[in-house]
Order: sequence, then C-alpha cells, then structure tokens
Amino acid sequence: MTTATVTPLGTADGVCTLAVAGEVDLANAAEVEDRILDHTANDLVGVVLDLDGLDYLDSTGLRLLFTLAARLEISQIGLELVVTAGSPVRRALEITGMTRMVSLRPPGEPGPT
Amino acid sequence: MLADDPVALLDGRLDVLGAPSSGTGNTVEDLLSDVLDTVLGLMAADTAAVLLLDPSGRFLVAAAARGLEAEVRQGARVALGTGFAGRVAAQRRSIVVDEVSPSTVVNPVLIAAGVRALVGVPLLAGPELLGVLHVGARGERRFDDADAALLQAAADRVAPALRIRARQADRVAAQALHRSLWPAALPAVPGLDLAARYVPAGAGGASGDWYDVLTVPTGAVWLVMGDVAGHGLPAAVAMGRLRSALRAYALETDDPAELLRRLDRQVRHFDPGVMATVLCAVVDPSCGRMSLSSAGHPPPVVTVGSGPAATVEVPADLPLGVGGERPRRTASLLLTRGATVCLYTDGLVERRGRSLDDGLGILRRTLRSGPAEEVCAAVMAALVGDVAADDDIAVLVARRTPGGARPEDLVLDAPATPPSLQPLRQATRMWLADARVDRRRAADVLLAVGEALANAVEHAYGPRRGGVALRMRAEESGIVAEVRDTGRWRAPRGQRRGRGLTLLDALSDEVRIDRTDDGTTVVLRWNVPDRSGR
Repeated sequence: MTTATVTPLGTADGVCTLAVAGEVDLANAAEVEDRILDHTANDLVGVVLDLDGLDYLDSTGLRLLFTLAARLEISQIGLELVVTAGSPVRRALEITGMTRMVSLRPPGEPGPT
Repeated sequence: MLADDPVALLDGRLDVLGAPSSGTGNTVEDLLSDVLDTVLGLMAADTAAVLLLDPSGRFLVAAAARGLEAEVRQGARVALGTGFAGRVAAQRRSIVVDEVSPSTVVNPVLIAAGVRALVGVPLLAGPELLGVLHVGARGERRFDDADAALLQAAADRVAPALRIRARQADRVAAQALHRSLWPAALPAVPGLDLAARYVPAGAGGASGDWYDVLTVPTGAVWLVMGDVAGHGLPAAVAMGRLRSALRAYALETDDPAELLRRLDRQVRHFDPGVMATVLCAVVDPSCGRMSLSSAGHPPPVVTVGSGPAATVEVPADLPLGVGGERPRRTASLLLTRGATVCLYTDGLVERRGRSLDDGLGILRRTLRSGPAEEVCAAVMAALVGDVAADDDIAVLVARRTPGGARPEDLVLDAPATPPSLQPLRQATRMWLADARVDRRRAADVLLAVGEALANAVEHAYGPRRGGVALRMRAEESGIVAEVRDTGRWRAPRGQRRGRGLTLLDALSDEVRIDRTDDGTTVVLRWNVPDRSGR
C-alpha cells in the first residue's frame, strides 16, 4: 500500500508549513490532498509544502499539487515547495512545468518573508 | 410395530454400517444418516438424533436428526452434564425419560417438536466418548430397559466406524488445511534466489511445520521457518493461526525479535497450550543485510561464496507459548552477493540413528553457493537420501544473487488497481539495484515505469477489472521496461491531465506505445552503454 504522511510543522506570520513524506500515487493522492486541505485554513497568507521527505511522486501527485496551487491562487494564498535540487521529485516538477507555477526552494534555506 | 427379534434384525441391518468404508456413503454424515433411519424404523420411534462431542470435550453439538431437523439447523449445543443428552454423556449410560418437560430436557426443540418420551445412549468407542444417540416418541409410546439395550447395541455397532471416519475426516482436513497454507509458489524477489522443500512424515499425515517467504512494502523480505509441536488437525490449525498472525506483524515491525515477542504474546493469550519454535529472518535484498531471531529453533546454516558453510550464531531464545515475557534478541549478518543461507526444521538434521550434530555437520558440508533449486536438491539428497522421514521436513534456501551477471528478467502480474502500484514499484526498485543502475537513472526508470503502470490502472479498463503486466529486461545496450494491459486506453479525462505521457517522454530515451484491440503495451528504453563499471 502506498503511504504518505502530512505533518504540520507550525504556522508563522500566516504561513503554514506542512511536511509531506513517503510516496504519493494514484492509491493515496486523494487522501493526501484531503489531509493537506485540512491544514489549509482560510486566513492563511501562504502555504509551504516541505517535500524533502517525499520518495516518490507521480503525475497523480503532481496533479494534486497543480490543483492545490490553482485553488490557493484563487484564495490569494501563496504556495511554496521545498525540494532538494537534483532529487527525483524536483526532476518530476521540472519536467512537468510546475516550477513556472510555484516557487521552489531547497531545504534549509529561509523563505521570503 | 416391533419385530420379533429386534436385536437380530439390528445386527443384520447394522453389520453393513459396522465396516469402516461401507454403508451408502463414506462420510460421517452418511453413516449417521443410515444409523438414524435404521433405529427409527426398528424402534417405532418418531424422532432420532445424534449429538457429537465437540473438540473442546465440553459440549455436545447436534450432528444429524430425524423429526428434529431444527436441532441440527440451529446448531443445538448442550453442555456435558446438563439436559437429557448432557446427562447421558456425563454418566456414560442409557437414560429413559417418560415425560419430557423443561426440568428433564434443556433443548427447546424437543419440546417444540412434541416429543414426550426419550431414550438416549452414549456412543462409546472403547473408553472414548464420541457423543449421544437418542430416539423419541410423540404419542403414547414409552421406552423401557429393553429399548435402551437395543439402542445401546446399535450405538456400540456404529461407534467404531464413526470414530474411524471422523479420524479420516480430520486427517483429510488437516492435509487440506496444510496444503492451502503452504505458499503455492515462492514469490519472485529481485536480488534473491529462493527454493524450498516440504516432505511430510512417512505416515502421510500433516503436522505443524511451515515456512513462509513474504515481501513487505519497505522492500524487505521475511524468511520464516516454524514448527508447531504436535500432529494432525490441531497442529495444522495452530500453524495456520501462527502463520496469519506472523504475516500481520511482519507489516508492522522490521525487527525479528520484536515480531517474535508479539507473536509469543498472541499465542499465549489466544492459543494457550500451543508451543512452537520459529526462526524469523528479514533481509534487505538490495544491500544483503539480514537480521534474525530464534524462538528455540535450530540455527540456519550459511555459506559466503566459496568458503565452507557455518552455523549462524543466533541466540536461542524461548520457543513461543512457553514462559512469560523474556527479552528476545536479534542477530545480524551480511549476505554478500552469492551467499546462500539454509533454514530448516529439525526433521532435516535429526533422525533415528543419527545425532543432531552429525546431521548439522552433513548440512554444513553439503551447503554451497549455487542456484537455490540445485542447492536445495543437494541438501535433500545428502540428508534424506532414500530413507522415509520419521518427522516432517521443511527446508528453505535463499541465495543472494551474485553480482556482475545481468539480472534475470523481472516478470510481474498484478490486478490493475491502485494498491498494486506501490508493490510493483518496490519490486522495480529492487531489480534496478540488482541491475546496478546508477541512482539518478534508477530514479528516472522508477518514475517512468510507475507512470506507465498508473496509466494502465487509470485508463485501461474503466469500471471493468483487469490486470497489468510488467517486464523489466537488462540488455547489452540498455534497459527495457514493458508495461502491458489488455484494455483500451481512453483519452485522459478531467482537468490538468496528460502529464503522465510528458513524464514518460522526458524520463526515457525511447517511448513506444503499441495500441491493439488486445490491449496496450508501453515499451520504455534506456540506453546504458556500460553498466558493469558502475
């Protein structure tokens, strides 16, 4: 069974950080999406998804990220992804053009304040 | 009305049944059915029933009835010592009841059926109580001592045959259960070459020996060898429960000692009286790390490449089902490429006229590194030869596939459903490690294969069920992945779809999608000029 965890790492200045770890595919994408949305309150200014612990993300998972980005955009909530440069997840994001839609930064680097 | 000489008549009718394999059929049910028809006619009774002692020895359960069919359909149970049948069983003698009432009978079916008089006798095979046979009357008929003697004569005729058939049924059930619990085929595990043997003891019965090989989502492979004390159906049933519980725990921990601790607690709580020895090992086929823990089970034997085989030093902790909570220990070793390990039950090394140490010595001298099937055959030839086993023998050989050579094709079939995706990817990941594909390329292959599999799951069948087949092949010039389904892809549906094909294109050197009426095959190719150097 494909398993992923969504862990809230805290909210500061209206920006909520969630760590998504494990694997995301067709089997669990809907569940992962629900869990992310559970933590996405309407009064947030931005959402940061830390994908550093994500081992596998296929096009179903990418679709989730695109859908989420679009939804957040309507609510005027920013989305930022934390991914290691050169990682398989980063590569999948680059191939599908995700990088043009949301901002990416490597782990350990502070985000824009 | 009663015949002139009922006992003689009874003899004539029941002699046929007395022979173990005669009567109209061969099962316990056939025999009981014949008996009931016979006594009903001979004794001019309205009802007849047989209750059999259940395996706990504390309850009688309705097995067959005439005129009281509801008793069987409702699964009537009577505790020994209570009610009419319960008293007959507990006192092991015939009882006659002239007026059936709630004070003499506990079973409401008898009262509801309008039974007014009863005579019941124990079914005894030697000292062994099998159950109770009783007949009843609705009208004015009453039973006397002569009736009781006649019924007892019938019961005594039938009991030995009943016992033989019940035992046959148990043996057949034990064998069927045992067969159904053994792995039909060992799973294909990239990185490991596996073979196993199971030989039941000469008597042909089934016992509690078992082995298991299970892959879990982390990619680890559990190798299990166990031996439940005892024989026959009880041992086979206990083995089945242990095997299921072990499989469940294997999904929850990666530490063999912890798994055995949980299993031990489970056995002591739910199956008191069961004792088993188990050797539990977990291997990571990509790096060869093996952890193992023993619950009183003989240690495995291992050989690394060309060296002589050695007994693995596993601390011997208590068998399952004895004693209380004691700490259990895990040993670990590294299976280098080509290393071969042999797990077995004591039936392999121990036999009449040969000590366990001698048997182990022969096993150590015989075990070598080679194809698992050949090694397994050599071990059986050296230790069993042509002597029938006096105990069950189970053997499991696992070899970590040697490096250098191209790995065998990975060929997998799975239902085209989302839960299949993760295990298929895991197998692919292992195979890629085995094929020594470098990390970055392996990640590309994994994602592209995962995409192709997800496409088949999502687009090939619609609501219809179907399968998806994966084949990974290492060639001189590169790696080829084939993902095949037997459905027809529909166009991507919904918003923001179609990224899967973009990924396939970008991640592989060549993509070919063959669509035919029989299905769709996605062929992906990666050119890897020289893998051997990496």
